[in-house]
Amino acid sequence: MKNFERFLSWFLAFTLVFSLIVSVSIKEVSAQAKLYKPMNPTPEANKPITFKVYIGEVNPNDDQFKSPVAQKIKELTGVTLDIEYAPNQAAVREKIQIMAASGDYPDLIYAKGDLSLLKDAGALIPLDDLIEKYAPNIKKAYGENLKRLKWSKEDPHIYCLGLTTDNDRTLDVNGGFMLQHRVVMELGYPRIRTLRDFENAIKAYYKKHPTTNGLPTIPLTLCADDWRTVISVTNPAFQATGAPDDGELYVDPKTLKCTFHYKRPIEKEYFRWLNRMWNEGLLDKETFIQKEDTYKAKIASGRVLALIDAGWAVGEPITALRRAGKYEYMYGYYPVTVSERIKQAPPDVRVGYTGGWGIAITKSCKDPVRAIKFLDWLCTEDANILRQWGIEGVHHIYVNGKRQFLPDVDQARRTDPYFGRKTGIGVYVYPWPRLPNYYIDSTGNPVVPDTTKEDIRKNYTEVEKKVLAAYKAEIWKDLFPKAEEYPVKTWGYLWMYPTPDEDMRAIGNKLFDYVIKNIPKVVMAPTKEFDKVWNEFLKGLDDLGAKKYEEYKTKQIREMVEFWKK
Amino acid sequence: MKRSLGEKIFDVINYSLMILLVVITLYPFLYVLAVSLNDPFDTIKGGITIFPRIFTLDNYKEIFNYPSIGRAALISTLRTVIGTITGVFSTAIVAYVLSRKDFFARKLITTLFIITMYVGGGLVPEYLLIRGLGLMNNFLVYILPGLINPFNLIVVRAYIETLPSELQESAMIDGANDFVIFLKVILPLCIPVLATIALFIAVGHWNSWFDTYLYCGGNKNLTTLQYELQKILANAAASSTTIDYYSNLDPTRTMRVTPQSLRMAMTIITTLPIVLVYPFLQKYFIKGMTLGAIKN
Repeated sequence: MKNFERFLSWFLAFTLVFSLIVSVSIKEVSAQAKLYKPMNPTPEANKPITFKVYIGEVNPNDDQFKSPVAQKIKELTGVTLDIEYAPNQAAVREKIQIMAASGDYPDLIYAKGDLSLLKDAGALIPLDDLIEKYAPNIKKAYGENLKRLKWSKEDPHIYCLGLTTDNDRTLDVNGGFMLQHRVVMELGYPRIRTLRDFENAIKAYYKKHPTTNGLPTIPLTLCADDWRTVISVTNPAFQATGAPDDGELYVDPKTLKCTFHYKRPIEKEYFRWLNRMWNEGLLDKETFIQKEDTYKAKIASGRVLALIDAGWAVGEPITALRRAGKYEYMYGYYPVTVSERIKQAPPDVRVGYTGGWGIAITKSCKDPVRAIKFLDWLCTEDANILRQWGIEGVHHIYVNGKRQFLPDVDQARRTDPYFGRKTGIGVYVYPWPRLPNYYIDSTGNPVVPDTTKEDIRKNYTEVEKKVLAAYKAEIWKDLFPKAEEYPVKTWGYLWMYPTPDEDMRAIGNKLFDYVIKNIPKVVMAPTKEFDKVWNEFLKGLDDLGAKKYEEYKTKQIREMVEFWKK
Repeated sequence: MKRSLGEKIFDVINYSLMILLVVITLYPFLYVLAVSLNDPFDTIKGGITIFPRIFTLDNYKEIFNYPSIGRAALISTLRTVIGTITGVFSTAIVAYVLSRKDFFARKLITTLFIITMYVGGGLVPEYLLIRGLGLMNNFLVYILPGLINPFNLIVVRAYIETLPSELQESAMIDGANDFVIFLKVILPLCIPVLATIALFIAVGHWNSWFDTYLYCGGNKNLTTLQYELQKILANAAASSTTIDYYSNLDPTRTMRVTPQSLRMAMTIITTLPIVLVYPFLQKYFIKGMTLGAIKN
C-alpha cells in the first residue's frame, strides 16, 4: 500500500511537471509565431553569465532581476544582472571612494559624477577598442556622438557610455511663469506674453477677489529659502530675457564667452519689475522670510494667483490641488518675457551632446567582451522596446501597427505603485544606455512610451484642456518658441562641466552664496534706490572674483568644444 | 488630613506646570505621530498640531508594502537581540578583568582601549580590515566589530570597582573560582549598569544602517530595517522632486505619498520599539549612570 502511494505521488508529480513543460513550450511556439515584432536571442544567449553591477542611484522598482522583463533579458542575452542600488544619494560617494581604495570593483558600474575617482584609480577599462570590434549597435546608435564620449584631451578614450545615445527632447513645459487657471478664465483668456500682461492679469483678478476661501489672496509669491532662491528668484531673470538655462552663467552661443547672467544689461529690467511688484505690494511680503514648507502650504491652499518657479519644485502642492479636485487653482505655463521683442529660449532648445554620466566596465570585469556585447544589445531597438514596453502579447500589442499597452497593463502602470517591480518595465532603462525619446523604431512607433502629444494630454485636466483650447494650443509647449528658432547649444549644459580647480570652486561657491544673500536687497530696495543697489550688487560679483571665474569657465568650454570637433 | 489653602494653591499651580511641561516635551513626538497618520497631501497645507486632520494609514502602508521590509525587520531584530546580549556579556567580562587590581597588564590594556575612543582608523582601513577578516556579506559583521565599546567598558569597570572587594574575597574563601565569582557575584550586582549599556547598545544596533551599506550591500538577505527605510525615503524624495527617470508619466498623477509624511511614519516605526523597552529599563538607567560615574 505504502509503495503504491509513493508511486502515485511520484507519478502525479511527474505528469504535472511534464504537462507544464509541454504547455509552456506549446504556448511559446504559438505565441512566437504570431508576434508582430519577434525578438531574436543574441548568439551568446545560451551561455549564461552573471554580472555584478553597482548603480549609484536609488531605484524604487528594484525587481532583483526576477520580473518577466528581466527574465526575458536573460533569455535573449544569457546575462543575469546582480545589481546593488544605493540606499540614498549621499552614500554614493563614500562607496565609490572605498571601491577605489580597496580595489573591490563590480563588473559594471554607474558612479554618476564620481566616476573620475574610479578612473583616477585605474579601475576602468577604455571601451574604444571593444566598441570598434564588438559593438556595431553602439556605433550606430551613438553615431557622431561617440567621439563626444571621450574622457578629455589628455586621455582621449571612452570610459563610459552616455545615458542616452542622443539628447532627449523636452516634451512639454513644466514650470516657469505660472498663472492659476481661474485668473485667465475669469479675465477671458487675455494674452499673456510680457511681464506687463502677466502683472495686469494678476492685478485685475486680485482686485476683484482679494480673498480666497476666506483667506487673503496672494497675488504672487516666490521661494527664497536658501538655494531655492536661484531657482525661483534669479533663474527666471534669464528665462524672461531669452537665454537658455546654463545655471549661474550665460554662454554666448557665438563666442562661447561665459558671463554671470546678471551682467546681461537686459536682466536689470527683470529685477526692476520684481522690485516694482514688491513696492506695489503684489509680491508676497513673506517672500524672503518664508521657509519652503510655508511656501508649499500657501500654494496647496489655492490662494496664490501666480508663481515663478521650476515645475519639479512645486509638484507636491500642485498634486495636493489636483487631489482636492481644485483644477482651476492649478497653474498654466506662459512664455513671459520682459518685452514683445524678446522671446524665451525654446523649452526644447537643441543641445550639443555631452555624454556625461553613464555605465562603465571595470578592470575586475570577468568578461569585458561579453559585457560590451550586452551593452551593445541594449542599444538595439528590441532591447529598448523590451525595457520600456515590456513583452509583446504580455504587456503590449500592436493594433494596426500601432504599439500600445494592453488596457489592464496601462491601468496598472498609472495606478499600481509596484508596477515596475512586478513587470520589470522601466527598471532597466535608466542608467543603462537607451535610444533618445524622439526615436521612432522600424515599426513606426516611438521607442519611448508617453512621448506623443496625445500621451501628454492624457495627464491634463479638463480645465487645463479648456484653457489651452482658448489659447489655440494642444499642449503648453505649443505656446513657446520652436527649437529651430534658437541656435544649437554646442557646448551642452554648463552645469555638467566639473570644476576640478579648488580655488575656482571656492570662488564659485562664494558667488553662489553672495547672490542668495544679496538678491533680496535688490528686490526689496525702495524704487528710487533700485539703480544704486543694482550697481552695487553687480560690483560685488566682480569684487569676489567673478571675472576670474568667467574666464576659467570660458576657457574650459572653448577647449571642450574644440576637442569634440576632432 | 486637612490641607491649607496655600497647599491647595501650590498643588494647582504645580500640576498645571507639570502638565504644561509634559505637553511641551511630548509635543514634537505627538506632531510626528499626527503627521504620520494624516493624509500626505493635506499635510502640505500645514497647520497640523497633535491630531491628524484627515486620518489615513497610507504612509504606513507604503512602508509595509515594501517587499523586503519584513525580512529586514527580522534581521534588525536578530542583530539587536544577539548584538545586545553578546555585547553586554563581553563588556562585563572584560570590565571585570580590568577591574581586578591583581591583573598585571591592567593599565596597559585600559590605555589601549581608551586610545580607540579618540583615534579612529578611518573608513577605508576599517573596510579593508573587515574584508581581510572575511566578514563581508556575513551576519557576524553586525555583531563582532562593535562587540565592545570602550566608553561602555569604562562605565562598567568603574561600577565594578565601587563594589566592595570583600565580596569577592569571601566568595573566594568559600571556594569560588574567578568565573563563578564573575557569574554569581559580579553580574547580579551589576544589573543597573548593564541595563544602561544594554539600552545604549540596543539603540545603536537598531538604528545603524551604514555598515549594512558598506559590508552587506551585496547580500540582499542581510539588509537591515534602517537600510531599507533609507531606500524607501530616498525613493519617495526622488519621485517627488527630481524628474521621474522611470516613466514620462506626470508625477502629480502618480505620486502617492510625500517624503515628509513618509519620514514621519518611519520615525514612529523606528522609535516605537525603543520607546516600548525604555520604561522597563528606566529605573536602572538613572541609577547606573550616576553610580558608575562617581567612583574613580
